[in-house]
Amino acid sequence: MIPKFLTSGPSRRTFLKTAGAAAASFGLPRMALAAGEPIKIGFLAPLTGAVAAWGKPGLDGCAIWAERVNAAGGIQLADGAHPVEFVSYDNEYDPAKARTGATKLIREDGVKFIMMLGGDTWPGVQPVAERTGMLFSTLLPSDLSPDTTTLVAPAEVHPIYNVTGVEWLAQNKPDLKTAVMCAQDDALGLPSVATYLAAFEAAGIEMLDEPLLFDPATTDFAPVVTRLMAKNPQIICLDTCYSDYVHPICEQLFQQGFSGQIISCTADFYDQMIEKTSKEFMEGFIFQFPDFDDPALNSDAINFQDPNGFYAEYNNRHPGQWGAVSWEYASIMDMWKAAAEKAGSSEPDAVMTAMKDGRGAHAFGEADWWGKDLFGIDNALVGDWPVVAIENGKAVIKEFRSIPDWYDRHGDLLVKHMEAYGQMWNQRG
Amino acid sequence: MRNFLILLVGLAALIALPHGLSFSQQEILVFLVINVLLVTSYRLLTLTGEWSLGHVVIMGVGAYSSALYTKELGVYVPVSMLLGAVTAALLAVLLSFPLFRMKGFYFLIGSFAAGEIIRLIWKRFREPFGGVRGISGIDPMPDFSVGFYQFDFFEPVSYYYFAGAIVIACLWILWRIEKSPVGLTFHAVHWQDKLAQASGVNLRAYRTLAFAIASGFAGLAGALQGHYVGTVNPNSFDIEVMVFVLTWAIVGGTATFYGPILGCIVLTVLNEIVLREMGLEQARPLIYGAIMILSILFLPNGLESLVQKATRRKTTAKPEEKAAT
Repeated sequence: MIPKFLTSGPSRRTFLKTAGAAAASFGLPRMALAAGEPIKIGFLAPLTGAVAAWGKPGLDGCAIWAERVNAAGGIQLADGAHPVEFVSYDNEYDPAKARTGATKLIREDGVKFIMMLGGDTWPGVQPVAERTGMLFSTLLPSDLSPDTTTLVAPAEVHPIYNVTGVEWLAQNKPDLKTAVMCAQDDALGLPSVATYLAAFEAAGIEMLDEPLLFDPATTDFAPVVTRLMAKNPQIICLDTCYSDYVHPICEQLFQQGFSGQIISCTADFYDQMIEKTSKEFMEGFIFQFPDFDDPALNSDAINFQDPNGFYAEYNNRHPGQWGAVSWEYASIMDMWKAAAEKAGSSEPDAVMTAMKDGRGAHAFGEADWWGKDLFGIDNALVGDWPVVAIENGKAVIKEFRSIPDWYDRHGDLLVKHMEAYGQMWNQRG
Repeated sequence: MRNFLILLVGLAALIALPHGLSFSQQEILVFLVINVLLVTSYRLLTLTGEWSLGHVVIMGVGAYSSALYTKELGVYVPVSMLLGAVTAALLAVLLSFPLFRMKGFYFLIGSFAAGEIIRLIWKRFREPFGGVRGISGIDPMPDFSVGFYQFDFFEPVSYYYFAGAIVIACLWILWRIEKSPVGLTFHAVHWQDKLAQASGVNLRAYRTLAFAIASGFAGLAGALQGHYVGTVNPNSFDIEVMVFVLTWAIVGGTATFYGPILGCIVLTVLNEIVLREMGLEQARPLIYGAIMILSILFLPNGLESLVQKATRRKTTAKPEEKAAT
């Protein structure tokens, strides 16, 4: 009696019965969903804390996505239509809490797919992914490695798309020849630094100083900006700074009289930045994340469903909160839905196989599964990416540019700088 | 005999506990057990009157060291955990030279600075610390069988038993230290430092001893966590985490051995289970903060004061009952 009671076996059996998600890894038959039963999707991202700006707006976007899909009849699988339902867990950008969240979503909620921001939290989840075979997505492909076979990066190839902004700048403003850069010294900042260095080198733009890496706990950006401006650069690059840094840095640049070009990965809540500085100061600010009311997104090549309507609904529900990730998780869901319907099943391995069968329908157009060189595995979807500029106080897509084309010409530079910053998959701890 | 029975029932309850919980609650239980060791070790340091802001970083030292001993040197995981604890204790001895030139508020700030220096070293040196990404793919505790029970350390129940046994042993050691002449001297260093010094007690040596012992156990807690989660990074041991430890100690109270443990359990259950289950996931920081302020306003001596009141009432009621009969 006692040995039976103490044995941990039942917990795994219970897990298989209730979740069914680990069936493949344990070689047991799958639990099929009953007809009309909701398909649960996990949302495992920071919803509170310093990184919440890259989690919470995504969950809000997913709620809109789910309403639209359910209103249109849900997910059409081989056994009929199923509504979709999101289950969230706030991982506070902590790997231990991410592990707990992944366990809850898989074993208790029975989700079929989990979306994550990734970064610091992925290593805590990886053992759970390996053990259960659950399909995960990340916004940060630097999480990818040959071991992460059930992890995909189908929305953004951060930070590789940053090369398109620099390339556009070099071609459209050829008089700009010098630059400096700052970034927070963390897992998000460093690969982006390497990418911008490669892009500037490829564009023939001279770096006047080493990238200025500041501690993520920094709150006073006056000294940072003073040092950036000391070399009198034509371009100041803000790398992939969190919005909590981009805003005060821009304020300082404005107050210290910078009048040159600013380029950044993101400009979340740029209307607030304009309020803090001026429309003139922010004119021409280059970044990579468009507002989805942009007419350029109505092109036939765009795969995101009704971007203008999505943006309007988002702003109606969450005024002033549109950010870089508001649409990204929803766009991943578009791809997941297409793959599940193609497979006729919501089981992780079937969806993964269908998703990677041929080219992928990325939000900004058809794209290829790529990444062997940089990540050791072709699980990142890469194609065109928009270059966005602020014009007259509004974000405007200037052009879509091909990331693979740039990589074909300058891939060696990217690898060189990634290696210098220890960001290649085989250099990670 | 009565105490033995209570102990037996308590032990049985601890063994049965995870089987009444959901999978995610079992995961939380593992981290709770580890945090109980962390906060109890912190209390040992506070016995000498010094409050540190570097205790969580010291926990990180144990986690990093143990991870590196297994990854780089191939040391067997349980041994590397012990070595991680020893490394944390030795580092504390080293840090004590500059830090114990200070007292009170200055020690508090000094400990924060020392912790930040350690975190910056982890960030700056990619070799061997992994830089800002830290170290991932840390070897887990190897599975084994004891005949009637198969330990599979991916499962939270198995790790709870493993970590729980270690933590109970550590708590017993910490309890014995506090009740020993050394522990009484720690109290004297705090409350009667001049008198203690006049009696020949080397204040600095005892402060260093408390710091090293507390750090050793914190390092062990870090190692337990690192080998379970499989990753360590500098952000996991930052000042925000330290604030949680301080909160557990303050809300629970530090006058008794069980005070910080009580604070840790109550606040963790509240934050990680109750508020999440109530669907207040995103409002947790706000509610958690409000509860903290309220508890400090209305329970200035911590949750332990409630237990003390209850037990005092019970003991004072006994003579009256006798008189009545």
